[in-house]
Amino acid sequence: MTILHSKEKLTLASELIYEIKVKDAMTRDVIYFSQDSTFREIQSSLKKHRISGAPILDEKKNIIGMVSIDNVITALDEGYVNEKVKDYMSRDIITIPQNYSLVSAIKKFEKYKFGRLPVTKNTRTDKIAGILTMGDILNCLLVSIQTIAEKVEKKEDQNTLLSDKMIGQDKKKRLQFEVKKADFDNAGQVASMIRNYLQKLNIEKQILRRVAIVCYEAEMNISIHSLGGHITVEVEETKIEIIATDYGPGIPDIEEAMRPGYTTASEQIRALGFGAGMGLPNIKRCADYLELESSMETGTILKAIIHVEGLGG
Amino acid sequence: MKIKEIVKILDAEVLTGELYLDIEIEEFAVCDLLSDVLALSKDRFLLLTGLTTQQVVRTAEIAGGIGVVFVRGKTPEPGAIGMARSHHIPLLMTPMSTFDACRTIVEAINKKEK
Repeated sequence: MTILHSKEKLTLASELIYEIKVKDAMTRDVIYFSQDSTFREIQSSLKKHRISGAPILDEKKNIIGMVSIDNVITALDEGYVNEKVKDYMSRDIITIPQNYSLVSAIKKFEKYKFGRLPVTKNTRTDKIAGILTMGDILNCLLVSIQTIAEKVEKKEDQNTLLSDKMIGQDKKKRLQFEVKKADFDNAGQVASMIRNYLQKLNIEKQILRRVAIVCYEAEMNISIHSLGGHITVEVEETKIEIIATDYGPGIPDIEEAMRPGYTTASEQIRALGFGAGMGLPNIKRCADYLELESSMETGTILKAIIHVEGLGG
Repeated sequence: MKIKEIVKILDAEVLTGELYLDIEIEEFAVCDLLSDVLALSKDRFLLLTGLTTQQVVRTAEIAGGIGVVFVRGKTPEPGAIGMARSHHIPLLMTPMSTFDACRTIVEAINKKEK
């Protein structure tokens, strides 16, 4: 169990093991014994609950020892299986307070090679709060990762529903979406909603693609380079018009910005896979008509038109 | 070629989207830059990439991609899986390098055409 010494990059996992506390991962429903339990009783209980060890508690639920399946085997071997555990249990117990991070727990597991750690309420008491195994930690990490994925999935589903709802009303309605500054977690959300909306209108897939790409690049530009803005889309008989407006600070040199490969994006943006200097050139390639107006005072207005043939009512 | 054939020849693990492996692939794309994905001229493509962010799935979705293959056994962010689930885009992970994966696909296509 050398999780902490792995040479592989464990960026997410290591973030999570610092963030998650022992109390989030531990089992609260502790199977325990009193010091007057016999090894025979312990053996049948461990078997029944399918566990390989348990703490010994006093009347006040303080941890006074640990007993494991190994101890039971030794008892069977040496013929004291019907005797009480108090004379044989290990008393130098290693515990962990419930508010410690999983990192500390994993370190203890590695250092002492125990299968389980009794968890205390805090550093000042031996009162039991739960029990922790490596299995609990693994399970908790997997659930955390799943929760992140589910959160994104749910949000995407909601956005799809939201864009579904926009249909049905007036087809030639003007759609407007807000784009927030530096909101990279939601990057592309607007373009995705517009894409779904147009898809439901049965727009030809190549047109759909071009509109989605124009919206996505425009959305990223607003998010990366400006203080925020909005994107409006208007679907008409013969054309789809996309207008992206931001609140500044404007593009100093439009000609330079249109040049493929020219970028002012930061290292952080490029680490995300953006900022290759292809945004405006990609928009230009996808649009039938492109108009770009920028002022250092009021911001940038981008207008793109894509022609469609017989959109139908 | 169907996505499920790719799973076989690339020795790939299906991370999500088991239900959508019968989709026919019309194009293949290999990109490590998101804007290159957007610069493709066709849709219904399978994207092979070394990027693992949520945005790579978003970009594939916007550009009309039908699946993403992560090369060299790279695992995508959990958010990428959530996004792919929502948009019904299968995600595959292959232990092969980009070069080997491409070569294997080309060989399979050539064999089919013969």
